[in-house]
Amino acid sequence: MSVSNMLENWKNFRHMHPVDDAPHAEYKWAMSIDLDACTGCNACTVACYAENNLPVVGKDKFNAGQQMHWMRIERYWDEDKRDFPDQGAQFLPMMCQHCEAAPCETVCPAGATNHTADGLNSQVYNRCIGSRYCSANCPFKVRYFNWYDYPTTDNVWPAEMTEQLNPDVTVRGKGVMEKCTFCVQRLERAKNNARTEGRLVKDGEVQTACQQACPTNAISFGNLVEPESKVAKQWAHQQVELAREGQAKDEQEGGSKLRGYRIFEELRAYPSVMYLERVRESAI
Amino acid sequence: MHRLLSLFILLAGIFANASVHAADAPPSITTADDLGPVIEQPIEFPHNRHAGLHNPADDADPSKPATGGMEINCMYCHTYARRSMVSGIPPLRKCIGCHQSLPSVRETPRIKKLFEYWDAQKAIPWKKVHDLPDFVRFNHERHIQRFVFAQGKPVQEACGYCHGDVKTMTVARRQKPLSMGWCVSCHEKDHPVDATGTKTSHGPNDCWQCHK
Repeated sequence: MSVSNMLENWKNFRHMHPVDDAPHAEYKWAMSIDLDACTGCNACTVACYAENNLPVVGKDKFNAGQQMHWMRIERYWDEDKRDFPDQGAQFLPMMCQHCEAAPCETVCPAGATNHTADGLNSQVYNRCIGSRYCSANCPFKVRYFNWYDYPTTDNVWPAEMTEQLNPDVTVRGKGVMEKCTFCVQRLERAKNNARTEGRLVKDGEVQTACQQACPTNAISFGNLVEPESKVAKQWAHQQVELAREGQAKDEQEGGSKLRGYRIFEELRAYPSVMYLERVRESAI
Repeated sequence: MHRLLSLFILLAGIFANASVHAADAPPSITTADDLGPVIEQPIEFPHNRHAGLHNPADDADPSKPATGGMEINCMYCHTYARRSMVSGIPPLRKCIGCHQSLPSVRETPRIKKLFEYWDAQKAIPWKKVHDLPDFVRFNHERHIQRFVFAQGKPVQEACGYCHGDVKTMTVARRQKPLSMGWCVSCHEKDHPVDATGTKTSHGPNDCWQCHK
């Protein structure tokens, strides 16, 4: 890449996502997760392991903080001095939030993590040099580093188990960073089929693995550009806007009764995942 | 102050240097060694005989038996190209499907070998000619749908963008570099979307199209 090319096309290299300069054309993939429906069953995590060829690292490496779960269930506890504290458990499925102004993207020395036209935060394994700077800069801590060569030296998938690997997803080697992709292989397939038929992807046509596995339908996923999609309706109903670091409804006096919020919104990363707050026993 | 000044000079030097390079003509996309290695296949399959152009004038001339191709559509054998990521190598059954009714060539060495495989019920171990790295996912369907079905290009032309003029080859050989820069050189250009309209668009250029 020449310097003159870079200067001429500067806006293609650094978007001020998501404000003004380049609105999403056809797709902006987004998610909403209803924490009131989430039972913390971990089915989404398991589905993610199966779909995305994630290595199961074992207890020792997990304790060393080397787990590879792109989707994790975070646990929090209501501290209201109840008799049975277990009842106060709250669960929050956490995965890459696909920020519009992602802190990880700006710091990558190799340009291995970028923003796609569909509003996804991409991670390109063959470009990654393993500096782990992105992980250090991620406020959500959802990036995972391959400390070992899981497919070969660690033998995570013994011979007969390689048959269960997803052929649409790279099996990552040692020394690269990885993270939730919003099941980009499914998105691409849906877009491909839609394009062959000369239309756009319909709402509900594509599901992420976690969404598909969720027994309580806590996760919805879709195209935020299309106003009639379930996700867009949910965002609109909860008055959560993508390009804001603080929602108007939260600035109202007395607060709003709406449950929608995004994590670390004030950091101006503009995440693409909206959570619907749990209705707490203690709050009623 | 002195330090600041030297830093400034250094930076100015770097930029001047970089812009000199930027002004150079871009390197050409294809070079002589784009040609892939000669790959020896179990049967020397004559692409030219099957897909080559058919010249009826040559049929009458018995001294030129091989010049008349069959003009078989690429997708008759590589049948998945229009509906799958991969174009597919035809199964042995496909070869036999035609060749069992072609007694005229039944005793030629290549066809004899073909029927040896068939009698043994063994797949022919074809070798890969266009082998991309494992981290690249090229989608045949998208390109065939776009150029053949939407835009009405001849099949051999559309396949030929990447595979070269296969109808003149016997065993196929890689003709194009198949490198990322080469892919992008086409994806950066505006192509018409359909056969009649004036609307154009270029191929997608984000990494996740091919690397996921």
